[in-house]
Formats: sequence, structure tokens, C-alpha cells
Amino acid sequence: MAYVAVRGGEQAIRQAEKLYRALNHPFGAGLVHAIERCLPYLIDRVMGEGSVYAPDLAALAIAQSGGDLYEAVLLLRAYRSTLPRLSYAEPVTNETMFTVRRISAAFKDIPGGQILGPTLDYSHRILDLDILAGNDPPKDAEPEKAEDPALPAYPRVSDWQRLNGLLAPLPESEPPDPADLPDVTREPITFPAPRAHRLQSLARADTGGVLALGYAGMRGYGLTHPTVNEVRLAYADVRLRHPVTGVIFSAGRVRVSQTEVVGTKADELELGFAATMGWNEVKTISAAMLDMEMDREDVHPAHTDEFVLYHTEAVEASGFCIHYKLPHYVTFNSSLDSIRRVRAHEQASDNGKDVKAPSMEEAPA
Amino acid sequence: MTQLQLEGLDQAHCLDVLSRAQAEEVKQFAEELIPSLGEIEVLYNRTGLTMLPMQEPVKGTMFYLGEVLIAEAWVRISDGEGYAACLGRDVEQALALALIDAANLAGLAQDQIAAFVKLQAAASHQADDDLLRQVEATRVEMETFEWLISK
Repeated sequence: MAYVAVRGGEQAIRQAEKLYRALNHPFGAGLVHAIERCLPYLIDRVMGEGSVYAPDLAALAIAQSGGDLYEAVLLLRAYRSTLPRLSYAEPVTNETMFTVRRISAAFKDIPGGQILGPTLDYSHRILDLDILAGNDPPKDAEPEKAEDPALPAYPRVSDWQRLNGLLAPLPESEPPDPADLPDVTREPITFPAPRAHRLQSLARADTGGVLALGYAGMRGYGLTHPTVNEVRLAYADVRLRHPVTGVIFSAGRVRVSQTEVVGTKADELELGFAATMGWNEVKTISAAMLDMEMDREDVHPAHTDEFVLYHTEAVEASGFCIHYKLPHYVTFNSSLDSIRRVRAHEQASDNGKDVKAPSMEEAPA
Repeated sequence: MTQLQLEGLDQAHCLDVLSRAQAEEVKQFAEELIPSLGEIEVLYNRTGLTMLPMQEPVKGTMFYLGEVLIAEAWVRISDGEGYAACLGRDVEQALALALIDAANLAGLAQDQIAAFVKLQAAASHQADDDLLRQVEATRVEMETFEWLISK
């Protein structure tokens, strides 16, 4: 057993941080506010993976980490761990979601119609170099207002499919107490994972990880070939119960996104689903496809729930990866010792000597 | 807990509206109410997390979508208690909301509260209505074209 101590580490660490700051422009509250106002998708990604809805803190985490998203998520998760859990909100339902975007790739005539909402999906992918030349981007005119407002809430497409007998009805059961739900932040995940664990883990999963595994399924390693039933972006009321009167009220709205994917199985449709805090369509589409895939028998090893959920946990994955930067001198030296011992043994054999493998102490340095 | 509406304006409506109102306006309004509230005791005023559950459509399972940072306050005045919560870390905003809630439940300053809530509700409604009209302008009608190949 051995270990390596580093001399002068504290001073070197201080200098390293100073050097980072010297090479990069300092930031202040102005940048944090600008990040929050101008980069909503980045904010949402960090909040979703950090599992805390707090746009100003997500912006601060992004600025403070120099834009390293894994570090930003870690900062947010670390801050979250210092906060008490005060309450359990009422469940988010379609009726309480103020929907601003809902599209379906499966049906063109979905109840309520298709609304594109706020999105850059259909924009030209051309860099606006004029901005770098110092020209302000042209001020867009105010978005047009239709004569009649859109509906604030829509049924899920799956509700309509159930009404038409295309999907199995939901089992009837008493809704659980929100305080009694399985919670991956309070208990270890076991496999096969309860559905509540699976969906909570996907909601806070690493976007890139979910996309990579989901994309593998889409390209051909998957057993399912689903279609997007609906993608929805909305504001959800955070509804709390008043401790004095028991009245339920909204403490404000948070951005949420959800995706249903639909496939065929025997003589009926089957669904996959995912949702997350913030607006992140790539994540929910990929996660919904993985949700469906994970339910299949004989699924590809990379699409089992254990594989998916363990390997898309952003903080654990990035933390494990970067720990390899830490000194591994003793463990690596033992590997070198092994190589030297084997080589010495082989050389001795080649020389016709009947020797046993040398012990570590006997091996040449 | 059973729902209990004490005296005053519709409590859920007041809290719904005021939690979305500009924080500074809410604080200013609460400052104006304070002289009429008598002795104030702050039972707690803090930040923390609330769990946000959601029900999914595949099996009807309820799960946690994530946690939301909130500020909350519970106050006691001579005529009753009040509680409120809002998104974020602004404990002063939560305290102001709780004081307004306490005044409302106690039936105090009803005219001022009603006028303030009405003003804020109108602004909130207008913002929602504007957004929904802008959203409606993004509605698309899909049409399927069939290509007929003549032999």
C-alpha cells in the first residue's frame, strides 16, 4: 500500500485559478443577467440536469464555470444539496399547463391543431456575420397577434388515441400522495427501476448522453421505430397547498417540455414518454424513445434501463471521467511492475532457465 | 387538510395573481399595508425546494419532474395568519405576499387589496392574452399531397 503526497499543491492550485482568471475576461452581474435573458435553452438544459428550477442561479453557474456545462450542473446540484425540502407541489397536469408549442409528427389533424410556438426550428442555419462587424441585428417587428387567442391548454394526443380505442386504457387507481413518490435523490435506484425512478432519472439526465443512446436506437440498434406523437412546450403552474386554509394556489410558472412517441405493437399502439424542466426537445424526444425501448425484451445491452440510467447521470459520469486527471501514480506503477515481471519471466524462459515468475521485490526497477 | 376560506377576497386568486406580479410593486404595496396590520410575527421566512410531480400518459405513473427553488413566508398578525410562496430566492417578496395574504384572510384593507389584485390581474391577463394571440399566429395547417403517377 502506498500513496503519493504533492508538495506545494496549495500554492500551485491558487496560481492555476489566478492564471485561468487572468486569461479570461472577468464577469459580473451584467453577464449573468445577459445569459439568463439571451440563452434560454442553455439555462433550461442546466436547470433540467441540475434538477433545480432557478434561472438566475443557472446563469450564474454557467458564468462561474466558464461555460463548462458539466461544472455548471455540478455547481447547481451542490447548491441544491444545501437547501431544505419545504413542500410537495400538486402534480403538473395538462389542464394546468399553459401550452405555447405543440406539434405532432404522427397526425396532422390533432385535436386543437398544431401550433409552432416560439422556436428557431425553422430558421435558416446561417451565421449572421454582420453582428461581428458591429452591426446590430435588425430589430424584428413585434410578433403578430391573431384575432383570437390560442387555447391555453390542450389534451394530450394520447388522450385522443385512448378515446378512439387505439391505446389501452390507463389503469384506474387512487392518485398517490406526492410526498410518497419514489425519489432517486433520496433512495438508491434498483433494477428493474420503478417507472417513477426511470422518468425522474431521465428528467435530470445528461442531454448529450440521452441523445447518444437514443440516437443509437434510432439509427438501427433499437427494436422500436416510433413516431413523435406530440412535442409540447409549456409553462406549468407550481401549485402549492396553503398551510393555514388548505387552498391550492400557484406560486408561479416554470417552463416544462414533454414528448410522447408512439409505435405499433401487435394490434394496438404503444407509447413512450419523457418530460423535463425547461424547454429541451432533443432530450425529451430521445428519452421518450429510450423509454419505449427499455420496455422491450431482448433489448440491446446499451438500451437496458440499468445501462441507460447509470450512464446518463451527468454529475456522476463527468465526475468519474475527470477523476482520471487525479494522480494514479501508485496504481499505474503496479501495472508497470507487472509488465516488468512478465518480461523478466519470458526472458528467463527464452534463455532456457526453468524459473518461476519473479516476485515484485525481485523484478528489475 | 380541508379547504377553508376565511374572510376576504378569493385567496387562491389573490395569491395566483400576486405571485406573478412584479416583486417591487408587491413589496411597495405590502409596506403600505403594514401600519394597519398591528403586531407582526414572522414564523418563518426562508428559501428551499418544492418537489414538482407530474403524471405521465403511458401507465399513469406519477414521478418527480424536478425541484423548484422557492421563497416562502408564514406570518402572524393580531387578527390571524398568512402564508405565501413565490419562485426564486426573494424572501422579501415572499414576506410581502404573506403579509398581504394575512391581511386578506383577516378581512383587513379589503378595498386596497381588491384594487391592487385587480390591477395586477389585468396586467397578467393582458400578458397571457397577448402571448396566446402571438402563439395562435404560429398555427399551421398540414395538407397531404398525393402524387398520382399516370401509366
